[in-house]
Amino acid sequence: MSTPILKVDNLTVAAGDNRIIDGVSFEVGNSEIYGIYGESGAGKTTLGRALANWLPAGVEQTGGKVLFAGHDLRTTGANRVTIGRDIAYIGAKPQSALDPTVPVGPQIVEKLLMVQPGLTRTEAKQRVMDLLHEVRIASPEERFYDYPTKYSGGMMQRAMIVDALCADPAVLIADDIIRPLDVTVAAQIVSILKDLCLKRKMAVIFLASSLLALRLVAGKVGVMHEGRLIEEQPVETLLTAPKTEYTKTAISHVPRIWSSNEFPEDRGRADDKPLMEVREVSRTYKVRKRGTFGQFNHVKAVQGVSFDIMPRENFGIVGESGCGKSTLTRLLTWLEKPDSGDIRLGGTSLANFSGRELLDKRREFQLLLQDPYNSLPPRVTVGRMIEEGLRLRGTPKAEMREKVKEAMVSVGLPTSIYDDLPNALSTGERQRISIARALVLDPKLLILDETLSALDQGEQSKLIDLFAKLQETKDLTYVFISHDLAMVRKVCNRIGAMYFGKMVEIGDNKSIFFEPKHDYTKALLSAAPTLDEKPFDAGELGFEPIQ
Amino acid sequence: MSDVAQITPTAPVAAENEGQSTVTMRILKTAWRSKAFQFGFWIFVILVVTSLILPLVSPVSATKMAIREKFLPPLFMGEGWSWIHPLGTDQLGRDMLMRCMVGLRYSLMIGIITVVLMFIVGCGLGLLAGFKGKWWDTIIMRITDAQLSLPMIILAITILGISKPSVASIIVVLGLSGWPLYARVARSAAVTEREKEYVRGLRVVGAGDWRILLLYAAPNILPPIAFVAVLDIARMMIFESILGFLGLGIQPPTPSFGSIIADARKYLINAWWIATSPGVFLAVALTAINLMGASLEKARNTVYAGAR
Repeated sequence: MSTPILKVDNLTVAAGDNRIIDGVSFEVGNSEIYGIYGESGAGKTTLGRALANWLPAGVEQTGGKVLFAGHDLRTTGANRVTIGRDIAYIGAKPQSALDPTVPVGPQIVEKLLMVQPGLTRTEAKQRVMDLLHEVRIASPEERFYDYPTKYSGGMMQRAMIVDALCADPAVLIADDIIRPLDVTVAAQIVSILKDLCLKRKMAVIFLASSLLALRLVAGKVGVMHEGRLIEEQPVETLLTAPKTEYTKTAISHVPRIWSSNEFPEDRGRADDKPLMEVREVSRTYKVRKRGTFGQFNHVKAVQGVSFDIMPRENFGIVGESGCGKSTLTRLLTWLEKPDSGDIRLGGTSLANFSGRELLDKRREFQLLLQDPYNSLPPRVTVGRMIEEGLRLRGTPKAEMREKVKEAMVSVGLPTSIYDDLPNALSTGERQRISIARALVLDPKLLILDETLSALDQGEQSKLIDLFAKLQETKDLTYVFISHDLAMVRKVCNRIGAMYFGKMVEIGDNKSIFFEPKHDYTKALLSAAPTLDEKPFDAGELGFEPIQ
Repeated sequence: MSDVAQITPTAPVAAENEGQSTVTMRILKTAWRSKAFQFGFWIFVILVVTSLILPLVSPVSATKMAIREKFLPPLFMGEGWSWIHPLGTDQLGRDMLMRCMVGLRYSLMIGIITVVLMFIVGCGLGLLAGFKGKWWDTIIMRITDAQLSLPMIILAITILGISKPSVASIIVVLGLSGWPLYARVARSAAVTEREKEYVRGLRVVGAGDWRILLLYAAPNILPPIAFVAVLDIARMMIFESILGFLGLGIQPPTPSFGSIIADARKYLINAWWIATSPGVFLAVALTAINLMGASLEKARNTVYAGAR
């Protein structure tokens, strides 16, 4: 390692009396990626922002130093512009970092001109264009003038990297940037980041809540717990020989895909008839062509997908974003009707129902939502939210209250929050409300649209246990729609892999994960970050991720 | 939010109210803490109460002419002032204070009623357009476009020229020219709200568009617009005065700010108080409303920023 470009010495950051960062010290050199692992709440984001000299109001650096190329940041570099130029910061939520009213390219040009006033607009534009190319955004000339809403999550994250890199920073702070991304996109971003780090001799501080992500990226990793850096080792050593109990537990909680021989219990019976039959469903969207009046592009979101869902099984649907999972979810929950094909519930086509009958049928299949913060309207009490389904069906008040409380108990919510607003609830509790809302209707089939992806590891396994328990007591069937392969591996009996609107492979847990037949399934699995040895290598299959 | 968590489940009614109003209440409380809001609020209250009560209890009439007492100056402002006419009299000997009070009463009434109507009609249509989308959206938004393309004054001259100007017709004119703005704002908020995850959740449970819109989406969308609407009361009062000034407002002998000022132009050199008094009342009322509106807006921003 060369001389450290960034040196953190006994840094302490506090909000009032509450110490968020407590005496953290480490060094990062040029072309080095330094990883910091920590669970949510460990103080990662505060650390990242302290390094960028960009602490939120009320939080202050109370002790220690951050030395950038030998200068104390606090005394020399309080100027934001300098910070923007030498130290760049990328957050976990790319969507909120860009101004939605300005096209992506011009927005970055604007920032570049601000930090480097000497450039002309044409030069700045060329530079941004080159960078967009460098982070492998397809056809940057066209994308340059697109608004942020037209970018997918992965593209947005890459645009943020461009935004951070345009000023040629010496240090890049990446705060959990790949958490919201699909595995294949994440793998791409990671390789871009590694590339750039070497090419530009940049130091990267990579904060992450996933050891798997760090294994892909970092050379050296520091483990952060309750505001302290409790150990520091090269990543492979850390994973094989952790020094502290905390790290050991963290490693043991990393979900395994291939190193276990356990498979989820099959609760099916010999005489089972399919609960839901999906037959050749297709859905095409018309999207207006840019710059035209009457012309449309036909986007085939789902094409001829067929499968059966058997009672009491866990059926998984995996694939990257853009593969048609969301459309399929809308079809399965009958929020949209397929253009062609048929979805049958208990032998009758859903298309045959309407009005009252459909309302009645809807009791049997319910959806659990993805985003815990947007899944509950903020001004409606918990009880009112859960009972909505019953209220719609004219259930008497006393019975309704009884059922709601029963459902709340069965998902592990205290009935005392019946009249509370959801504001103060945690993500786990919010997802439980969503489950209770479905359960009061006595459903047979629950469709989980990435329901677990927003939760941390601990809360996730608690909910998985809850699902298993409910399955036993209430004879439920689950459809897990997810990009989290490790979770699917642990829970699902049968799995279907989707790619560009088609179901490319359906098989049981063992055959999908250990003997995948389709090339795309292999590519998807090989991109999955894991601590396990992969039973095959499909790195050179050359599947382009969907954009 | 800790105080919310402490509500016991034995008080569903209280909780229900709490549920309707937490954010709104917090905004009101934050606004109330600012001096500017209190100042504006109390001035507003005093103006409303006096303009309602004074003309009823006072023996002096706003419309009774007394030519012998014309052009009396306000208190201590030259020769001939009297305690009976604290703000002096006009060219026909009518008491200025009473005329201003009645004018203020109409001005406030028209301002408030117009804004309430605009809010209801504009937001109602806007929500519908944004939430239902498709042809609802197209039709409603084209109507608002058409409406926006008509200048208010032309609309006023047309409508008030055809019909006899009355309080109702003035409200109709002002309301017609103002509602599209509300429709626009409500629509864009509704479009965002429609895409939120909870709407999808409610649909799967079986709730229809109307139910989701009225029970769940509207309570999220409307309060912020309502706070901004406070400022609009001031705007509508100004428009009412403009119409009066042009002779399209409330017709004499009933006094209105605009018509008093229009008449008083001729006497501006000799009897400045005739034009000035309504102007001062209008200015004070507008200041009060703007103080309230601005503090509410500020409080809203603080509360929303804090909530994140």
